[in-house]
Formats: sequence, structure tokens, C-alpha cells
Amino acid sequence: MIYNTIPEGTPLNGKVPAGPIEKKWQSHKASIKLVSPANKKKYTVLVVGSGLAGASAAAALGELGYNVKVFCIHDSPRRAHSIAAQGGINAAKNYPNDNDSVWRLFSDTLKGGDFRAREGNVYRLAELSMAIIDQCVAQGVPFAREYGGFLANRSFGGALVSRTFYARGQTGQQLLLGAYGSLMRQANTGKVQIFPKREMLDLVVGEGKAKGIVVRNLENGQIESYSGHAVIVATGGYSNLYFLSTNAKNCNASAIWRCHRRGAYFANPCFVQIHPTCIPVHGDYQSKLTLMSESLRNDGRMWVPKKQDDKRPPNEIPEEERDYFLERKYPTYGNLVPRDVASRNAKTVCDEGKGVGDTKRAVYLDLSDSLKKFGLKYIEEQYGNLFEMYQRITGEDPYRVPVMKIYPALHYTMGGLWVDYNLMSNIPGLFVLGEANFSDHGANRLGASALMQGLCDGYFVIPYTIGDYLAQTGAGKLSIESTEFKQAEKEIQESVQKLVGKKGKKTVLELHRELGLLMWNQVGMGRNQKSLQTALEGIPQLQKEFQENLIVSGDANHWNKDLESALRLWDYMELAELVSLDALNRAESCGGHFREESQTEEGEALRQDEKFQYVSAWEYQGQGKTPILHKEPLEFEYLKPIKRSYK
Amino acid sequence: MSEKTSTWILWTTIGRKVLLALSGLALFFFLIFHLLGNFTLFVKDPGIFNQYAYTLERMGFILYVMEGLLILTFLVHILDAIFVTLENRKARSSSYYKEGNAGKPSRKSLSSKTMIYTGLLVFAFVVFHVKMFKYGAHYVAQNSNIRDLHRLVVECFKTDYIVISYCIAMILLGLHLRHAFFSAFQSLGIAHPKYTPYIEKLGILFAIAIAGGFLSIPVWIYFH
Amino acid sequence: MKNCNFKLLVWRQKGPQEPGKMVAYTVNDISPDMSFLEMMDLLNEDLIKKGEDPIAIDSDCREGICGTCGLVIQGLAHGSKQKTCTCQIYMRDFKDGETITVEPFRSSAFPIIKDLVVNRSALDRIISKGGYVANNIGGAPDANAMPISKETAELALDASSCIGCGACVAACPNSSAALFTGAKISQYAHLPQGSPDRKKRVLEMAQQMDKEGFGNCSNHGECEAVCPQGIKISHIAKMRREFFKASLL
Repeated sequence: MIYNTIPEGTPLNGKVPAGPIEKKWQSHKASIKLVSPANKKKYTVLVVGSGLAGASAAAALGELGYNVKVFCIHDSPRRAHSIAAQGGINAAKNYPNDNDSVWRLFSDTLKGGDFRAREGNVYRLAELSMAIIDQCVAQGVPFAREYGGFLANRSFGGALVSRTFYARGQTGQQLLLGAYGSLMRQANTGKVQIFPKREMLDLVVGEGKAKGIVVRNLENGQIESYSGHAVIVATGGYSNLYFLSTNAKNCNASAIWRCHRRGAYFANPCFVQIHPTCIPVHGDYQSKLTLMSESLRNDGRMWVPKKQDDKRPPNEIPEEERDYFLERKYPTYGNLVPRDVASRNAKTVCDEGKGVGDTKRAVYLDLSDSLKKFGLKYIEEQYGNLFEMYQRITGEDPYRVPVMKIYPALHYTMGGLWVDYNLMSNIPGLFVLGEANFSDHGANRLGASALMQGLCDGYFVIPYTIGDYLAQTGAGKLSIESTEFKQAEKEIQESVQKLVGKKGKKTVLELHRELGLLMWNQVGMGRNQKSLQTALEGIPQLQKEFQENLIVSGDANHWNKDLESALRLWDYMELAELVSLDALNRAESCGGHFREESQTEEGEALRQDEKFQYVSAWEYQGQGKTPILHKEPLEFEYLKPIKRSYK
Repeated sequence: MSEKTSTWILWTTIGRKVLLALSGLALFFFLIFHLLGNFTLFVKDPGIFNQYAYTLERMGFILYVMEGLLILTFLVHILDAIFVTLENRKARSSSYYKEGNAGKPSRKSLSSKTMIYTGLLVFAFVVFHVKMFKYGAHYVAQNSNIRDLHRLVVECFKTDYIVISYCIAMILLGLHLRHAFFSAFQSLGIAHPKYTPYIEKLGILFAIAIAGGFLSIPVWIYFH
Repeated sequence: MKNCNFKLLVWRQKGPQEPGKMVAYTVNDISPDMSFLEMMDLLNEDLIKKGEDPIAIDSDCREGICGTCGLVIQGLAHGSKQKTCTCQIYMRDFKDGETITVEPFRSSAFPIIKDLVVNRSALDRIISKGGYVANNIGGAPDANAMPISKETAELALDASSCIGCGACVAACPNSSAALFTGAKISQYAHLPQGSPDRKKRVLEMAQQMDKEGFGNCSNHGECEAVCPQGIKISHIAKMRREFFKASLL
């Protein structure tokens, strides 16, 4: 791929409605078209993914009377990775009376995203946040409550108010089960059909519109085609590109990548979030990383030994030989700086050789002071489950020595398929929801905002905006016997056949690890021109290795995890190139994207608004060919971009 | 809800266990009365026990009704249990190569796993027991002309094999009751974090008391 | 701790209709910090390289919340550690040289797809009959319009923390789904939101549970002991009370 000259395409328009920001969504809803109740049953909507966004969208559309088909890779829609979200969900309810408002949630989210998101979208998210909580409570989601019986709130990073609703450490699970319940209710009525163990492998485009999908049945390897009037893709993010991430093993980028190959623009791929408090990597056999709630930073202090390569156990290192690096560099926020800042600094001290543990890629998170100050009971109440988890995974008992080893890990991807204000991609009829799209979090997502966005998209945006599209498109479907479908099926069959015969030496897992390591080292927390070029040169070598030296076991007609992973790995390899290219193109630092060339004298991220105040949306040009860059300029009418400072 | 469902309420997995619990509790109460009556055997004067047996016999029609109900309860309990067991076997058609015990708070025990066997063996014993006493030798007491059941009991309980089989049967009954008591309450939906632990303990206590009580009679007679 | 060797006895079954058997494997030089599934990954890598068919296992989040993984290890669903999912078991909990048996979740209602992977759609079908509040999206009153006591909310959350893994069914000698079904019914029975459709919910869900071919609950309580979320069998009792109320009153 040629990466020194990037062809530029026509600028994009996000189609954010005109008018004052607080009226945009209202007036937009009033102006878009409706589908009559009698006509709704003539339309079929295909929903791919059953996480918060997918399940809520499918349930909502089923209730409206559309025919909905839901596809998920799991054996049950309830297992989508939204279930693993621990912390909570934001909403501008202002229940604690601490002066929260839609405006504050809007401005916190936009600021937190380092001004790389669309104002109109973010405002709508903040506006609809309250209805989400109402809806979930009405569904019987057992949120935490105060003794008086009202809902409890807690505070989260990046905000000065308490607006996070939660259900113990399993908020994602409870919200997903709520949406899943609504979905199953529709399944019972027959309005929604559920197709589990199906992996979307292609988008079918006819006459320039999304007309259907081709999936692989993971149980028996059958290639199946489904035709519809619109396709909703809600398949989550692509953190697993880095192999080690906090994402579930089955999270993958294939659905969105294959949409991209069919013409959907991929926006801001280089915006990935690295979460500071994860349990460090402890061996090269490791399959995934585990996150520990950010809340630990409320009572924990992060430090490393001042001396390089200090082998003493943490409790034997005297106070004056410790470097509390966050407190030293950010006296105001200290250990509570945002995720990206904390992560980057942990990396810096490890790069300086001060990392701890066997791998030297970890820092201490020390709760000794809090334990002394507040006592065992408080720590148990606050962090008991996290301590247990830490002990289970590492075999070390934090109650004995309350110093845990942590290191940042890939956690969330802000980038995704480009969508307009209606959540429709540049391919008419293809809608993208939740983490799979790029829309609301800019260059960095705040804690407890992912759940909010997924449900907002599914419950309250798509039911309206999809009607506008369907009302304008005919009721005719593309037959699954058409050449478009047959061609797509054939291509998939061929790619499957090519893989199952492979008898090389390297397993899919080994090659994926190599790709992940390359990306983590070169396109991880700190990026520079040289590292990005290294990545862009390294990836084609891995692709070559994939084509020439891969071994894939089993056959195409049974449950075959190895084949599934091989199919996904190739998509990751192509996506990896795009992530690196986007990172190379965006020669500024913003949010989770830190370009070492663009920093202040103190080593802080330096945004370059004159040059990069836009969304990069990439258009696929073919394998190995340089994609075309379309820019969507970002305008800030209501909140002027300011520099983030946590000193 | 639809009437069909309510008609068949007892014919659901929940309903069948209710039937089992109710019939089981009825049998449990029968056992208690039976045991209390049998304690008259410990009285030196054999006339007391014979009088007790005669009083029951004299109830005539009422006794027949009660016996009929008792037989019915037995049948319901046994048939239901057999059906439930067969159904459970069908639900777990392939067994594990290795089957472990998860430990507390599980209540799975030898007792809970063998309910159908202990139950059927105890029932076989009941048949044998009824045949031995109700339809056994008809002695007539010397001082009155009522049946001298006491003599039959003593004769039987001086015989080695009868005492041994009685002891075994009563141990099986105890095993059955150990799980049965708590299980009946749970099947009836009677559970509460405060009281359930006591129900469980009470179940063990009853199992020991009833089995031990019945067992004490043949043993006591054998050694006297 | 030094690295260990283990002997594995794993259930292998090619497809739903084919017969299966226990097959022995050895794994060597296993780090005690490795998770059980990572050890299985390693074994599979080995099998792939040898040109053999790897063991089919399903897992996803690997942090104990999605409910995808589920193996019977040493005769116990999710292994011997209580309140733990298969994916959260680590090799340091096994003795060097130990023989470890690995089997799928067995139940007639969970047909085996391949090796250790089973089909648990029966649980979804139970939920589809009433594991929800039957209200449409939109038009919900303010979330604080209906105060619910903290205790009630916590009780409901205890029940709704179920991850749907099916370990309760696997561990139950009768393959009963009473704990799974009971937990969902109990969640909504505790909450006022569940009140309007509570009769319909319990009757239809219980009926579906029977239809799927799950066994009767004999109150062994093995389910509670293997449940990764520690859901108590008191929720089964609650389901039964709801059932009586719905069918008798």
C-alpha cells in the first residue's frame, strides 16, 4: 500500500439538521417521513448483532410492526459482549441535584472526546439519555437504589457530577438482559426471527442500496442469504485486532469490514481506547485481558520504583524510592486523570525501565494508604469483588499486600463505519449502530457512555430514522436468487475453500498474536511516523505469511472455530493497515490517539484544530490499494474547542 | 390464564412435586401417629397395647375409610414418584463419566439421590409388615376376648431375621425422611432465608427420631 | 510455582447424532497462571499442528459473565471452585500429574453440537414465553415515579444476575431448569413492574420449561452450589408460590 500520498475524495456531509442545537432532533423528527402501520409489515429489516444496540433496535422495530430478522454469532442473543460492561450508564437526570443537565452531559462528552465528534449527534445522545433510564426501569432492570427507594447514582471519570446509574458491577448485563427480554418477547409474537450462530460475511448491495446479507451458519458451515429492505449492523468494535484486549473472544471486525469492502466508509479507525486498569499480561499463552473497574483509581495510587529494574517486592521499597508518577505530573487530578492520560504515563515509565513484575510491563496500584485510612471493611465493600477477581487471575492476595500490578489494555474503539445523523452509512439502507459506528465519542469515550449510546441508537433513534428511509424506498426486495446474492455466496464459498485446505506451519492463533503484537508496539498508546511506517511495512509480511504458511484444521461443514478465526484474521489484517494509515495521516494528538510528534513541552497531547478538525472517512479501493480519504469537516457552533488540561 | 393450563396444574413438573409433597406429608403424619400408638408396647402390661389395637379395630367403618385413604395416599405418592423418576431419567439421557458433589450449599446426598429406592423398599416392607401383623396369627388375650396382638409382636421380634430386616427398613425410612421433610416444604414453595435452615435441621431431627423410634421397639423387645 | 503436566480425559463427539467417547490427552509444561481454557487452547494448537481435529469448545468473554463457556470438569459443572465460571478456573488449582475429566453439559434438552459444545436454545425459548415485562418501548414514566426499596431491588438483582450458562441444568441429576426459570420469574415477582403480567408469565414459562424436556426439581440443590452467580434455590420456591397463586387464585 502506498501511504505517502493519500488520494482525497469529496467532503462528506453529516446531514445534521439546521436550527438551534436543542431543537435539532425535535425538528428533524417532525420533518422525516413515516411508514403507515399497514405498510410496516411489508418491510423486512435485517439486524446483525444482538448487543445493546442490536437487541434494542430489533425489539423496537418488531414492536412497531416491521418484520425483523436478527443474526448473532453466539448461541443466544443474550451473550453479546455488552454484557461485560461493569461500571454504569450515564444520564442527565440530575437526580442528585448536583446541577447536571443535558447541556453538561453534552459538553462533558464532547470535551472528553477531544472535539472530534459531531455536536448535533452528541447533543441528541445527551437529550435522549433520560428516556433510556425511564425505559430500562419500566422494563424491570434492577438498578441500584437508595434506602428511600429512589435510584442511586455514582460519579465517573471526566465529569464533576454524579450521573451514572448502575447495577452492582454488572450494569451491562442487566441492561442487555432487559433489551434481550424485549427482543424475546417479539420473537414470541413472531415479529422477530432470531438466527443464532450466524456470522455475517457479506453485505449485498443492489442498485446502490443495501439489500441483504450473506451469513455463515457456524454450526454446520452452510452459507445462507437473507434479503431485506434495510440492514442494521450493530456488531461492536474491533479491539481484538490487537489480539490481546478486554473484548470477548468472538468480538470481531468482519461484519463492518465487509460492509467497508462493499463501499461503506470507515471513519476514524485510529481512535482506539486503551484502558489503564487492567490485569497485566503474564505469559505468551494468554488469551485475553481482564479489566478492573476504573473506580479503583479513586482510592489507589499508581507508582513505580524510582530505580530501574528494582527487584524488591513493593512493600520493601521505602516511600522515598517510589515514583508516584501521576501525582507528580498532574498535581490537581492526580490518580484521577482521564483514561488516555493515565495509560500513556504508565507506558512511559515502563519504557524508562521502571516497570514491575516478571515482564516489566506493569505498574503498581497501591491501596495501602486507603486501607490504613478507611479500614478493611470499607475496602471490602468497595472493591471486594475486584480483589477476588485479581486473586483468582493472578494467584496473589491483595488483602495480604494491597498492591496490585496493572497495565493498560485495548478496551474500546471509537472509530467505526461512517454514519450520518440518521445513523445511515453512505450506502443507503445500511444503518450502523453502537460501537460499530464512529458517531458520538470523538477521539476518546468517557466511562459509562458506551451503554448509553448503544441503547440510545437502538431504542430511540433508529425506530424513527429507519422509517424515513423505508418510506422512500419501494417494498420490492432483491431475490436471493439474484446474481448479487449468488455472486456474494460464491465469493464466500471460495474464500472458505481456500482456507480449509491450508497446510502450512503457523496456526491462526500464532499469526493473530503476531499481528496484535506488531499493532500494540507500533500503533498502540504512542504513535509516531516511524512506528506507523513500521506497521504498514510489517502487515503485508504477515498477510504473505497468512497466504503461504497458515494451517487451518477441520472442514467447512462442521462447527469449526479455527476456520471462523481464520476468516476473521484476514479482515483484521486489512483493517490493521487502515488503522495504521489513518494514524499516520492524523499527525496530531487527540484523545486516545497520541502522535509523539504532536505534544506540548510537558509531553501532553497537542491537538491541531486548523489541520485536523475533521472526521476521516476512508473509502475502500481494493486489497493492497490506498483507500480514498473523504473528510467530514467538524464545526463547533455551541462549544468552542478548548485544550484539555488536568494539571 | 387459559382454563386448560389450570386444569392440568397438577400435571406439570411443579404440580407433580406438589402432589408428591402433599402425599408425603400425609404419610409423615401417619407415621407419627403410628409411632405414638406403638409406644404403648413399652408399657409392661400387654393389655394396654392390645386395648389400643382393639380401639382402632372397633372404629369399623371409619377405620376402613381411613385405611382406604391411606392406601390411596400411598398409591399417589408411589406412582407419582415412579413417574417423576422415569421422567427425570429421560431428561438426563446420557450420564457423566465422572459425577462429583459440589458440596454445600448443595443438599445432594445419599438420601436425596436414593429417594426412589428407599421409598420402594420401604413400601415393600410395608406390605410385608401389614401381612405379618394385620393378617398374622390371631391370638386371643387370656383375660378378655380381644385379639392379643402383643403376643404376635413379641413372637416376631424375638426372631433374628425379622428384627434385622426391621432395622434395615427403618434405616432406609430414616434416609428417605432425611431429604423428604425439607424437600416437601421446598416443593410447596415454603422457603424463607430465616426459617429454611430450621426446616432442614428439623427434617434431620425427625428422620432420626422416627426411624430411631420405630427401630427401638423390635430392638427393645428382642433384648427383653 | 513450577510448571506442571496433566492427563486429560475429554469427551469427543463428532456431531449431534454420532456416538461419543472419552479420549485421553496429555498436556505438558503448563504454567500455573494459565487459565483452564488457555490450557485447552494450547492443547488445540498442538492438535492443529499435528493435523488432528481440535476439541470444539465455546467461550467468549472469558471473564465469567457471558455464560458461553461451560464444561463439566472433574464431574462438576464449571469445576470445583464455587461461584466461578469455567473461564475463571486456573491451572494452579490442580495438582501436578492429576487426571482431569472434561465433559459437556449433559441434558436431553441440550443436544451436543460437537465435542464439548451444546445447544442451549431451550433456555431462550423459556425466556421468550415471559422473561420480560410486556411493555413497549417509549412512554415510560419517570424512572423515580415508582420507588422500590433497596432490599427489593437487591433481591431482584440477585435473581437477575443469572448468566444463562445452564450449569444448573448440567449439575442437576434430573436436568431440571427450575433454577434458571425460577430466577427469572422471581426477579419480576419481586418488582412492581412485573406485577401486571405475573400470572401469564409464570404459567407460560413453566409450561415451556416442561415442554423442552427438562426434568423435575427434586430439591437436591446441586444447582445452587454450581451456579457461578450463587443464585439460591429459594428462587425456585418463589416460582412455585407464583405458580400456585396464578393457577389457584
